[in-house]
Amino acid sequence: MRLHVYIIRRVLLLIPVLLGVMTITFILVSAIPLGQRLESQFGQSKFGSGPYVLCSRFGLTPTNGSRFCPNPWYWNGIRVLGLNQPIPVQWARYMYNLLTGQWGYTSAHSLLPTVGIPGGIPVLTVLSWYLPYTLELAALSLVMIWFLSFPIGYRAAVRRNRPFDQGARLLSFSGFALPTFLLAGGTLLGAVLLTGGFTHICGGTATPWDLWYGLPPDPTGYACPPYNGVQPSWIGQYGQTSPTHFPTIDALIHGQPLIALDTIRRLILPAFTVAFGSVAGILRFVRNSMLEVLSLDYIKHARAIGLPERQVIRHHAGRNALNVTLTVLGLTFAFFIAGFPVTELIFGLRGIGLLFTYSVRPPYDFGVIFGTTIVFTIIVVIANIIVDILYAYLDPRVRLG
Amino acid sequence: MPASSEAPSPRSGKNAKAPTKTAGGSALRARMDQLKRTWHVLKQNTLAMVGLGLLVFFVVVALGSFFYPGPSESMTLYCGTYLSTATGCVKVCTYAAPELSPGAGCYLVSSLESSLVPPTITLSPLSIGPLPLGSLAPIPGNGLFYNIAAGLIKGAPWSLGISVTIVGSGALIGMLLGALSGFNGGTVDEVIMRITDIFLSIPGLLLVLVLLAVLSAALGSGLSFLGRVGVLVGAFVITWWPLYTRLVRGQALVVREQKYVEAAKAGGAGPGRILRKHILPNVTFPVLVQFSLDVGTVPLLLGVIVFLGFPIWPATPFPEWGTLSAISVENLETFVLDCATPGITCTFPWWQILFPGLTVFLFAISVNFFADGLRDALDPRLRR
Repeated sequence: MRLHVYIIRRVLLLIPVLLGVMTITFILVSAIPLGQRLESQFGQSKFGSGPYVLCSRFGLTPTNGSRFCPNPWYWNGIRVLGLNQPIPVQWARYMYNLLTGQWGYTSAHSLLPTVGIPGGIPVLTVLSWYLPYTLELAALSLVMIWFLSFPIGYRAAVRRNRPFDQGARLLSFSGFALPTFLLAGGTLLGAVLLTGGFTHICGGTATPWDLWYGLPPDPTGYACPPYNGVQPSWIGQYGQTSPTHFPTIDALIHGQPLIALDTIRRLILPAFTVAFGSVAGILRFVRNSMLEVLSLDYIKHARAIGLPERQVIRHHAGRNALNVTLTVLGLTFAFFIAGFPVTELIFGLRGIGLLFTYSVRPPYDFGVIFGTTIVFTIIVVIANIIVDILYAYLDPRVRLG
Repeated sequence: MPASSEAPSPRSGKNAKAPTKTAGGSALRARMDQLKRTWHVLKQNTLAMVGLGLLVFFVVVALGSFFYPGPSESMTLYCGTYLSTATGCVKVCTYAAPELSPGAGCYLVSSLESSLVPPTITLSPLSIGPLPLGSLAPIPGNGLFYNIAAGLIKGAPWSLGISVTIVGSGALIGMLLGALSGFNGGTVDEVIMRITDIFLSIPGLLLVLVLLAVLSAALGSGLSFLGRVGVLVGAFVITWWPLYTRLVRGQALVVREQKYVEAAKAGGAGPGRILRKHILPNVTFPVLVQFSLDVGTVPLLLGVIVFLGFPIWPATPFPEWGTLSAISVENLETFVLDCATPGITCTFPWWQILFPGLTVFLFAISVNFFADGLRDALDPRLRR
């Protein structure tokens, strides 16, 4: 099979998975109370904030003793949601809405201060505000995973059962066993204490707490850390435009290279926190597949013809150990993604994980909850496809099979 | 028998013993021999033994906690406010120095459990027990305190019980579906595996949180305590079974093609017998290893859920290890806010974070050590 045929086939296989995930969210959406469901799908402005009269058929209780619900809001909701139609029709309508980009609205009593606008904001718009920051964080932590797990894994395999290997083993075990919030909190605390304690002066110069916390300084001075609430894009809140919502790129567009650097510095600790758990897992696989490769005949041959050891490890063994590891990277990607909410909450980064964190607290913001879930799933699925394609590119046997 | 345990060669005791054994007896014997060999290999592995020792310790603590005074589903709470008169609880600065050493007339007033506790308990690291482990730690949001050691002891049966229930149910469902899928093949396999793929592509923690949000919105807040625990366990099980389904299916596919299964078929064994006698015993060990790996991560995940602010327990101070650890990290923000004001010095409350965190960490890492050793002992090919 040619590579592009393989890619097309792989991408086509994505469709049933995504449809399945949307079906799961449809089932879950159908389970939430009618009022919250209407609000999450159409925004509150269209339906007002009056309480819906509840009817037992929908898990709700009638007010006037009959099983009919006299409240116009309720009937309006039934009609708009199509609850009087068969379930396949409801499903098709839900899918149509998702596929045409109508992902619902944020709830008006959302905990997000800037999002708590009466009537709500379309979920896709909110996601487009928050997703870029997470993508920057993810990119940085993937780079960290790459540059940490491979060298350590290779070295552990080469120095098998020596102190370095034992240390690497301990590292990988503790990566599994350390709660994310403890690691993130400890990292932030350690960095702040090492650079001089918690004192910060708002509007003055940056102090250690400011240096490592999420909010970059505004161009006119330095802001206080946002203890409560989140802002969608730091640059937008100083009255400037935020064309891409990627903080680094935005800063560069505004001609502020120092702020761009500052943004990246604030991402270093969170990226390390997110990377740590994945490094722990991948490390073991790099080591084991490297051990397997090192025992093969062509490595003996390479050594026998007198190639320098460094080249044997790097070019002959390393290249082949890479294949297996790529698969593992794909498999652990869902685990990797799940580290974002906690890390972003602790470091105060305005990414999609923080958005999710705020929306799963009661009062629930179901529009955002399902929106973020679908986005996270799409990221995981796409990452898996990229890994598969890379794997097929590196190892032609996969395509043939 | 002592001879066979010293020199564990395959089938060592078999020809030495009486030939009058029935078929069932010898199968049992073979199984016992295998267990003995596994144990012998496991004994050589220091890390696995350390893990096992810690696990035994945790189980002993969990059993012993039923004899520890106080109710089992909550901790004794202490009012954390310093008052000169016993008028009620007013939240004051938790960490800043002036409050840390109570002045004249400043006492912790009472325990919520009984008003008989004399007002002599003061908030300092070394006040209650001989170790900081026995001191009080604040619960964020309500101005109350819990005793760290008591909370951890009370939490042991909950942490262990919830972990084993969740992972055990997930493994059971996964084993059934996986064996069905791998053994039957065809349409059944296709349908089950597609559903599994769909579930696996949603990040697990997110799915748990979404399920919890939906279930608590749908079922309302009228749930009883055990109902809430049930919802929690259900959300985790829904997230956990696909992993086991895929694992067991892969194993079943391998076993199905083996010669001995073919021989059993030729001997007239029906699908039920093959499934029971050949497939399930062969998938048990990988599932056992995965089970032991997963049990340790449940407290971590519970902690993450609590940390993200999701109210999984009816009352916030629930004595579960992950929860206590999450609470301690949440307190860091209070600490920072209390102590960031210039001119105030604070003692960093390391003991409040260290002990719950260490418990969660040790539980997870001991389970990991043990599972890793178990995998090596059960599958000699993996031994490196």
